[in-house]
Amino acid sequence: MTATTVNTVLGPVPAEDLGVVAVHEALLSVLPGAQYAYDIEMDRAAIFRAIAEKLDAFKAAGGGTVVDVGGMYAGRDVPLYEALSRATGVHIVASTGQMEEGMLGGYFLTPQTNPPTPWPAEKFAALYAAEVTEGMVVPRVERRGAAGVVSTAVTAESMTPTDESQLRGCARAAKQTGVALTFRAGSDPVAELEVALDEGLAADRVAVAGAGERAAELADTGAFVVFTDVVTAVAFAREGHAHRTLVATGGAAIAFGHDVASASYADLARAVPAELAPQLLAANPAALLAVKEA
Amino acid sequence: MTRINTVLGPIAPEEAGFVAIHEHIGYGMPGSELDTQWWKTPEQRYEETVPKLRRFHENARPYGAATFVDATGICNGRDVSYYQSLSEKTGVHIVASTGFVGGDTALPFFARASVDYLYRQFVHEITVGIGNTGGKAGIIKVGVSRGFKMKELDLRIYRAAARAALETGVPIFTHLAVDAEPAIAIFGEEGLPLDRVLFGHADDGVSQGKVRDRWIAEQGGRIGFDTFGYDLELPDPPFWGRPRQERLEHFLGYLRDGLVDSVLASADANCSPLGWPGVKGHTVNYLFDTLLPALRENGVDDATIHRIFVELPAGFLSIQPGAAPQN
Repeated sequence: MTATTVNTVLGPVPAEDLGVVAVHEALLSVLPGAQYAYDIEMDRAAIFRAIAEKLDAFKAAGGGTVVDVGGMYAGRDVPLYEALSRATGVHIVASTGQMEEGMLGGYFLTPQTNPPTPWPAEKFAALYAAEVTEGMVVPRVERRGAAGVVSTAVTAESMTPTDESQLRGCARAAKQTGVALTFRAGSDPVAELEVALDEGLAADRVAVAGAGERAAELADTGAFVVFTDVVTAVAFAREGHAHRTLVATGGAAIAFGHDVASASYADLARAVPAELAPQLLAANPAALLAVKEA
Repeated sequence: MTRINTVLGPIAPEEAGFVAIHEHIGYGMPGSELDTQWWKTPEQRYEETVPKLRRFHENARPYGAATFVDATGICNGRDVSYYQSLSEKTGVHIVASTGFVGGDTALPFFARASVDYLYRQFVHEITVGIGNTGGKAGIIKVGVSRGFKMKELDLRIYRAAARAALETGVPIFTHLAVDAEPAIAIFGEEGLPLDRVLFGHADDGVSQGKVRDRWIAEQGGRIGFDTFGYDLELPDPPFWGRPRQERLEHFLGYLRDGLVDSVLASADANCSPLGWPGVKGHTVNYLFDTLLPALRENGVDDATIHRIFVELPAGFLSIQPGAAPQN
């Protein structure tokens, strides 16, 4: 029994067994509501096959683990992910959390109370922590498996009050359960990271995507920085930030209801230079994903 | 051929019988399905729902049949295959909705959609079916977001609904009758007669002082007294509750003034709520247990009751493509 394990959809796995990790991905990406669109056909068998082909190619290229950071309301399908992991042998880590305010359902924004006050941080924290400690929800059916990371996003233009509540809630859930926090930054990545750290979460338990020009400042605080462009990631790593650099495809295996680039995990595995790959694709993701003792 | 779309297929309006015009099998805000505090087992859901529908069916027997209009929007837990099984097993006709309870219940995919896309979504659900259930929507739901003021997305949904109603002939239900001026302007611009629109919840507690229901009726709109039973006298009333007698007087005023053809009535009850506690004891059968006796006590005759719960809703729900103004 190792002290550091990672929550995958098929159960805890020793962090050192993850291998090459695509750390900030979306497997099945569904813009909330698209599942009800009259002209979108979601063929479950075809979806499975499309994702499985990408995971098989990843495995053939030396890949070991894919982390789905779409959160609980953007297509995440726990039984599907379990079957994919069993069929392909690739570890899959799924996430709790939800994306920025504009992606939330009315339950969180205009609840049936008077006035309709958006959810506070503590309610988000409880909802997301339970997905780690009690299992991820298959809506109105069951809980299965433990979430391996808490994932959220900040509105691109600027952080809304609800984004802040949610980011704080996610940070609390991460701190309480020991899983890491990852978020896609809005207009001020440094200030947004400070919000998360203000909840008592250690910087090395946080990964920030979309940091742009502020990447070095984030890395200096101790947070991981996620790049979706390998050239930029490699340059950043070579500037002395290799221990804080993560790299992802920036796409989705398959998407419905919105345009998302098609991800190739195999290309990602091959693109990082050999001298950096063990750090960027294995050691850093393992450090981030290993569940910390509370 | 005149027809009403139910989840099990079209019926002749003459077969509808007693109509509860605005009800819910189960309603929840989008996202409530993620919160396990509201979850119920399928056994529990059927246990809570079937007896209410069977009693509704029994209560409606003197009127020939029972029709339950489910006004739950696309993203609010609408579950047509479940409604089909309930209808099949209880004998209650169930009419399902397309549309949205308000812009704030439309998920991002629809919030980003154009008027034209929303119109095509509604038309598809009315003429082809909802998802792969084969069940077709019989009404279009629209509504005012929280805050009593129409928002841009609400207006987009109203315009799409007006176009889909004109093309397919199904009626429109609004959630809330407040801020009706922009709604009536849109229906006018699109050429939809206002007697194809039920301005709902005109009787609820929070709308009073904000709703110009007599003005809407003068324009030809139908007025929904469809929150009967959400009484402030309840042990734990919802925030939209209202003193029971006050609501009844409001309604009786229409009947005394000869405006019976302007109103429709219902209870807006949940058989088994999806994302909120619901109101204990409040069911569609309030209409029989409390409202009809109260109307009779106040001298409303059977012919008027028949008009409100049988004839008017049958006409309103009847599919009327290219709807011309009704008499």
